[in-house]
Amino acid sequence: MRGAAVAAIVLAAALVAAFPRAGEGQAYRAPRTASGQPDLNGVWQALNTANWDLEAHEAAAGPVLQLGAAYAVPPGPGVVVDGPIPYKPDALAMKKKYAANALREDTEVKCYLPGVPRMMYMPYPVQVVQSVSTIMMMSEFANAIRTIYMNSTTPPPADTWMGWSNGRWDGETLVIDSKGFMGSTVGALDEEGAVHVRFFDRAGNYHTEGLHVVERIRRTGPDHLSYQATIEDPNVYTRPWMISMPLYRRVEPNIQLGEFRCEEFVGDLLFGKYQRK
Amino acid sequence: MRNLMVAAIVALAAASVAAQGQPAAKGTYKVSRTPDGQPDLQGYWTNLTYTPYERPKELASKPFYTEREAVEAFNKAVAESQNQVVHYVNSDFGATPVQTGAQPNLRTSLVIDPPDGRIPPLTAEAQKREASRAAAERGGPLARTWRDDRGTVWCVFHDRVVPSVVAPYGSNYHIVQSKDHVVMTYEWNSEHRVIPLDGRPHGTVPSYIGDSRGRWEGDTLVVETTNFTPKRTFLGSPGMPGAVSMTPTFKLMERFTRTADDTIVHTYTVEDPASWTRPWTVEMPMHRIKGPMLEYACNENNVDAFTTLRNARAQEAGKLPPPDRVRNVDDPKATVIQREQKGDGAEK
Repeated sequence: MRGAAVAAIVLAAALVAAFPRAGEGQAYRAPRTASGQPDLNGVWQALNTANWDLEAHEAAAGPVLQLGAAYAVPPGPGVVVDGPIPYKPDALAMKKKYAANALREDTEVKCYLPGVPRMMYMPYPVQVVQSVSTIMMMSEFANAIRTIYMNSTTPPPADTWMGWSNGRWDGETLVIDSKGFMGSTVGALDEEGAVHVRFFDRAGNYHTEGLHVVERIRRTGPDHLSYQATIEDPNVYTRPWMISMPLYRRVEPNIQLGEFRCEEFVGDLLFGKYQRK
Repeated sequence: MRNLMVAAIVALAAASVAAQGQPAAKGTYKVSRTPDGQPDLQGYWTNLTYTPYERPKELASKPFYTEREAVEAFNKAVAESQNQVVHYVNSDFGATPVQTGAQPNLRTSLVIDPPDGRIPPLTAEAQKREASRAAAERGGPLARTWRDDRGTVWCVFHDRVVPSVVAPYGSNYHIVQSKDHVVMTYEWNSEHRVIPLDGRPHGTVPSYIGDSRGRWEGDTLVVETTNFTPKRTFLGSPGMPGAVSMTPTFKLMERFTRTADDTIVHTYTVEDPASWTRPWTVEMPMHRIKGPMLEYACNENNVDAFTTLRNARAQEAGKLPPPDRVRNVDDPKATVIQREQKGDGAEK
């Protein structure tokens, strides 16, 4: 019942994303860097509710009574193109369990590195600095960084929180293939620090170490990117699925990433019970 | 431990113990250019070194070694560093400076000005200020909160970078350039700064890593950094001179010049009339190493912090004996009770 309505809303969202306004879109040819690649340099940011819930969702109360409307969940049409997310039945049950325990399980609360694609649509700016062989992407959140190794086929040397990303140009489009993600805390000693899966959003949509993400990023105008990510994890989903959204340029002339070292704000939360007052 | 293991993977660029790679003669090297026409500083670099930050007093009038002396001093320092008794034997992780790519240095100290190679004295006011800060921070031997041990359990900021100082391992850099920005990533805590080259004025918001602005002067990248938060200090890590607060007048001027395919000469001048009686200058050569440099996840289930704090509470309650004492740079007289890890050469 809810599923059909959700699917309709999501499809509508996908159509909007696929047909940007006049003068922009698939025909747009990006300005080039000195070495001739499409120029993705700049500070970009998502303007949507994906970090609250990738799927279509109604407004809802926030998780902490005292924060009232300030931290309530704004509604959103969702960014999943062919939703709902194709969870395996047991994985869907786990999602509901994680969602109910989000304050404890969501890495965002703990200021852990957000991973991919979450870093790209959190409500924080992302800066792209592009060279021929390497593209750096940096988020304000937790000072997270991604290193995109261009024209590399190197497999991940180790599992990491932000994963290992190999990139290539497909015409106008930057294609990034990422694997090697940490799926949970390893050697967890304490429940306050432990997470059992990685959240894509605050609603408990999750992945494991089986995550494989293929992103397609292209300019659709002077101040817009089209951002798409295909998400695969055979531990959790029955098939690959895709999110799609625009990213917007932060056009302020003095824009630069601030320093949001959120570790500073979670120490007492994580370690409080072992501290001497 | 997790942090060390990640660092070790990064440091796989193993150099031989044999001293090699003297600095190229200045002025003869022609630096290659990026597609934007700027000097190319990109790649992976280390400034790990065995050269002391301040010049030993016995070398006060000797700023330079001969080449032979430099190699001897290097080899001696490498040999001494193998003779450690510590909980982690860094060489087991391939992480010591020589394994990472450190090279002999003709200079006898990293501080090159004042001419005696020593940091100038603090002003009288700064001495008072630092004494009272140190007194306020002095706690008991056991960590009370996660704020108390900035060496291992504090993931907010790694204070050996900007300005750079000497570290035992992990002082590796990845530099990426676009037309308008230089990104410098440092291995410890994945600290990084995005340096605009577009001539914009400094921002107004204080931060731990400071607000950097860069420009090219000939083939040299000049970076001016201000706006450090007064919440942090400079120096004070093990083996370094004592910590000094960063005041609103602290200014850092850095110069990065590629002098050979495998060398960037990095100099910086520290100026803060609220702390030192005069500006002073450091030269830290950066040597090319192999990448890649992996993520330094510090806060992600920080087992060190949980264990340190939990054990501290258990010791206070008399439920846990104090740990074996180990010899380290802060505690030269401690008795070594037990070697915890393999490693040849110790306890001879």
